[in-house]
This record gives sequence, structure tokens and C-alpha cells, in this order.
Amino acid sequence: MNMKIYSPEGDLKDEVVELCSTAPLFSGGKIGILENGKPNADLLLTKIAEGLAGRIDANFSVTTGKGERANAATACNPQVVGMLAEEVELVLTGSAD
Amino acid sequence: METQSPFLELPDEDPDTIYELFEKHGWGDGLPLVAPTDQRVTEMLSSIEFSPEEVIAVLPPRGGSATYRSVAVNAVMAGCKPEYFPVVVAAVKALGNQKINLRGVNTTTHPVAPLLIVHGEAVEKLGFNSGLGVFGPGNRANATVGRAVRLVLLHVAGAVPGPGDASTQGQPSKYTYCIAENQKENPWESYPVTLGVDSESSLTVHCGENPHNFHDMESENIERILDKAASAMTTFGVNNACISGGEWFVILCPEHAATAFSQGWGREDVSSYLFERARMPAGRFREQFNLLAWADWMNSLSDDELVPMTQQVENIKVLVSGGAGKHSCVVPSWGMTRSVTVPI
Repeated sequence: MNMKIYSPEGDLKDEVVELCSTAPLFSGGKIGILENGKPNADLLLTKIAEGLAGRIDANFSVTTGKGERANAATACNPQVVGMLAEEVELVLTGSAD
Repeated sequence: METQSPFLELPDEDPDTIYELFEKHGWGDGLPLVAPTDQRVTEMLSSIEFSPEEVIAVLPPRGGSATYRSVAVNAVMAGCKPEYFPVVVAAVKALGNQKINLRGVNTTTHPVAPLLIVHGEAVEKLGFNSGLGVFGPGNRANATVGRAVRLVLLHVAGAVPGPGDASTQGQPSKYTYCIAENQKENPWESYPVTLGVDSESSLTVHCGENPHNFHDMESENIERILDKAASAMTTFGVNNACISGGEWFVILCPEHAATAFSQGWGREDVSSYLFERARMPAGRFREQFNLLAWADWMNSLSDDELVPMTQQVENIKVLVSGGAGKHSCVVPSWGMTRSVTVPI
């Protein structure tokens, strides 16, 4: 005789998330990377930036870290944020373990 | 939202049949499971007064809803008695607290596991072990409550090795990790009281490594005993070394606690002593780590100055558990998590 048992997983939460509005595509602009201090973040972000620059005819021109004594767990130095805002139109950042 | 049927069909309750079904779905912790039949789940739910479909917490990384029912299912599978269920529920509530950072705890490469510590009347009433062999094996309450929480994390939270849990090697406490405070032999007030948690029974969750043992069979003064604890804490091999916000749980056996008390020490004195003694020169940390997530004041120290293994003395938590035999332990933290104590 068959026996019924419960699945142990439970349902997934029914969540509606609104995406941010997308930035308009641009060409000829400047891309920068803000490497967040995680291992090989600079390599990964550089590869992505180079690929993207090639696709949208942009210039990959700025690479920076978060500032002196900053690391993956700390906030970016406001001066670095200001510099990026002045120098480039698009910033790639973020890398995890 | 697509809701899958909550039921599966088994031809029989043979352990091999259950094993095969759960293996096929990628469920379970590798050990034999109790079949979560409707009758058993209903009995488990009878110990609480909430609606079975009420959500206790949404658990990352999968985003599964830990309802009272889904937690009860996993508690049955773990072998819990119905009277243990409020403790399992309290653990899930605690894990849903943002301070725990469950997404990080569940998905990191670190071996971290949540340590559950039961306090108060629930210890004796429900038969938890707070004495000899408190970390295991052998006690049903300790073993199954810890296991139930792990099964919830596997099935509801999706913390499965590989797709969810990136822990390089795991650790044995990912099977079950539950102890009880030994208040009968504790010379000080119960740990939750120090936090202002006013409840007959409560539960602490600390996310960290397996316990690191230290022993002292000889000393009649607490300083010499705690020097061994400090020695166990002073290592580059723990996340506390590079993440200064990490806590330490120092779990003293009754005899070591009694030695401290006999010298007029409170638990704050124990914490203070360890804060001062468990230190290494800042330069040695800088040699070992490219990245140090330290408090500003630690970063400003010169290479010769001694750095503690946590940024503030309040991060060193002292409890009493275990039996006779003069072995105690320290439990390092994963680092980017804070312990939580909740009423049961």
C-alpha cells in the first residue's frame, strides 16, 4: 500500500522585484573598473570591461581600488567615487569569493 | 507562483525505500531519515499554536519559506520528538535574524555551522544534555534538534554542498551542532540573562567552527588555565584573525568555571583576561594576510604593537557546559555574523 510523505523543501517565496531602470546604451564613452579587493577581482573585471568596450565602441580607461586601507569589507573612499563620477560614464565593480 | 504538491508517494516505510527516494531528489544529510508522514507531521505541529502555513522566515540562498509545516517535516525526518519542536522553531527564527547573515553563512567557502545553545527550563524539561559529552554523541534532544536545523538549511534554504553551500571541506558539525548550558554547575547567572533576554527558556545561535578543545588538569589558578584558551585563540587559521568583528564563544567546563569563581572572577573577568592575552604583533598579521577587515584602531597600530583576536572585549562570550574532566573549548566565529539569543 502506498504511503504519502511530505516534501521537506517548502515553497519558494512569491516575491515580485522591480528592476532598476536600465542605463541607456552608449558608444564612444568611457568605462572604468572599481576592483573591490576580492582575489582576482581586477582580472575578472578587466576581462569584462575589455569585452564590453569592444561591443559598444567604448573606451576602457580607468582601473582603481577602493582607496588606501580599504578592503572588500569596507566602503569605497568617497574621493575614489568622486573621481570615477568625473572620469567615466560606466563603472564595473563587485566580485565575490 | 507555482506550488508543487507537498506530497510524495512511497510504496513502504523500509529505510532503503526512503533512502532511495531522498537520494533521487538530492535530499537528506546522508544518514537514515524518518518518513515525514502526515500523521507524524501533524503530531509535531501539535506542540505549537500557530497556523502550519505561517512563514517563520525566508531562508537564503534558495529563498524557501520556512513555514511551521516545512520545519515540522524536517524535524520529523531528523527524529525529533514533538516536544522539541519549539526549540527547532526558535532556531529557525534566530537564523532568520539579519545579524546572523544566513546567506553568507550558508554559501561561504568557510566550514561554518550554526551552534545552537539551549538555556533555561527547556534543558531539563526536554532532556537536553548539558553535562558529560555535551557536544556528542548520545543524546536524542541534542542530536535531533541540531540535525533538524541542518535539514531545514539543506532543504528549505538550499544550502546543499555545491549548488548552495560552497564550503571547501565542510565540517562534522554540519550534521548536528546543539548543546545546552549547564546552569546547575554554572557559578554565574545564565548567559541570556547577561543579554537582558528574560524568558524561562531561550536559545543562542553562534555561527562558527567546530569547538577547539583545551585542557588543564593541573592548575589551581584561572590565569594558567585561560592561558591555554588564549593559546587556542591565537592563530592565523581562524577567520577571527582577519575579521576583527568576529565573536568568540568560550565554553568552560564546570571545574574551570569553578576555579575562576573561587578567585572572585566573573565572566567579564574571563573575557577581559582573554582579550588581553590572546594577542599577536600587528606585523605578523600583515605578513600573513593581504586583506585585513579590521577596526580602524587596529589598522593604526604599528607592526610591533599587539593586536587582540577580536576588536572589543564584549565579543568574547563565556558560557558553562560539559561535565567533569577539566576540558573546555573555544568556538571561533565565521566572522561576518553576530550571535543571536531568542526566547523559546
